[in-house]
Amino acid sequence: MKPVITLLAACLLAGFAALAGAAARLDMALSPDRSNPSSPQMGDHMRFISVIRNGGDTPAQGVVAWISLVQVDPGHEQPMDLEDWSAHKAVTRAVLAPGEQVTVDWPMRVIQAGDYRVVISAVERDTPHIITSPFIDFHVRQKPVVESARILPVALGVPLALGGLLGWRLRRRR
Amino acid sequence: MSPTVLIARKEAGEILASGRGQGWLLALSAILSVLSLLLVSNTELSLLDNAQVVYMMMGTVTALGALLAVALGSDAVAGERERGTLVPLLLAPVTGTEIVLGKMGGQVVAWFATYGLALPYVWAVGSSGQNLAQAVGYLALFGTPVVLTFGFYAYGLSARFVSVRSALLTALITLVLFASPLVMGPGLRDNPIGKAFDAVNPFSAALNSFDSVVIDSQPFTAQAGRLAVAIVWLALSAWFAKRSMERTEV
Repeated sequence: MKPVITLLAACLLAGFAALAGAAARLDMALSPDRSNPSSPQMGDHMRFISVIRNGGDTPAQGVVAWISLVQVDPGHEQPMDLEDWSAHKAVTRAVLAPGEQVTVDWPMRVIQAGDYRVVISAVERDTPHIITSPFIDFHVRQKPVVESARILPVALGVPLALGGLLGWRLRRRR
Repeated sequence: MSPTVLIARKEAGEILASGRGQGWLLALSAILSVLSLLLVSNTELSLLDNAQVVYMMMGTVTALGALLAVALGSDAVAGERERGTLVPLLLAPVTGTEIVLGKMGGQVVAWFATYGLALPYVWAVGSSGQNLAQAVGYLALFGTPVVLTFGFYAYGLSARFVSVRSALLTALITLVLFASPLVMGPGLRDNPIGKAFDAVNPFSAALNSFDSVVIDSQPFTAQAGRLAVAIVWLALSAWFAKRSMERTEV
């Protein structure tokens, strides 16, 4: 009886091994574009290049990759809403053949000062886990921008003063 | 008092003291206020640094000054003709040159009123940035010849055309053409036609100098050629206005 059980177990193990070897295996690399500013400041444009490769033996079906940005300033750790940062938030690929790779360019405009970490994630329809790229950390410098507190008094005050002067003259003339 | 000064005082008084003139200044301030509020309320624009905003404000002020100069210049002679006051003016013991200079004196006052009105806005958007003092100086240095060029040009058209409407329309079309770099970025002008147009256009000369000084912090020596373009146009337009006044018919 014992040899039969051993034989069955060996067959099952061989079957799992064969299945595992046939699965798609996604690898991902991420690097900053060469044209990125060395010390970006608010308003600068940056690009990140990701390469997603199917290193398995079978096609990867329904691949979705997306960009995530996290602020990592001490005390201000939070995921960033990319609404104002990038219009290019995700890419999809119906099939990624074995050995095939897809290069994706992720442009963004950095709009807030701070320390950030960017990462690309991907999932495949038939694989129950997520694949992530290595992190890239960068710092965005503050820059002086238009201050509304100074503009509002001028923008409202000057027309009001001129309008008042005009109204006073018209009234005096009557 | 010389006839030129007398005419200039009368013209300046009509522009600054009249309800119409003050209405113009009110409209100008409303435009600058709307522009300023747009700059602070738009997320994309609010990323612009102060120097960029100051540059935009300087271009807008120059365009508004030129617009006012075109309106005043177009009315200078054709308006007198339409109101029936041109004959008494021509019969007065003053030369054509004195009339031109007197009328343009009023335009100088109107431009400096516009300039003075714009200063609080330039300060509001640019005081925490770079080159604010240079911006104030260069707005006067380049804005004055550009604005007066369009004023002289409109004056010349006003002396040649029968109606204010014809002179105003022609001058406005010319102003829109020359001020087009205000809405076309440097990228759109970066071709042989655009570069040639920039090289001879006084408005481009002013805008490029504003950019060069306020954003790129370049010295005056880099602006000398552009200032020469603006001054040559000022001289040409003044000559055109004088010649047109000598040939004007009642």
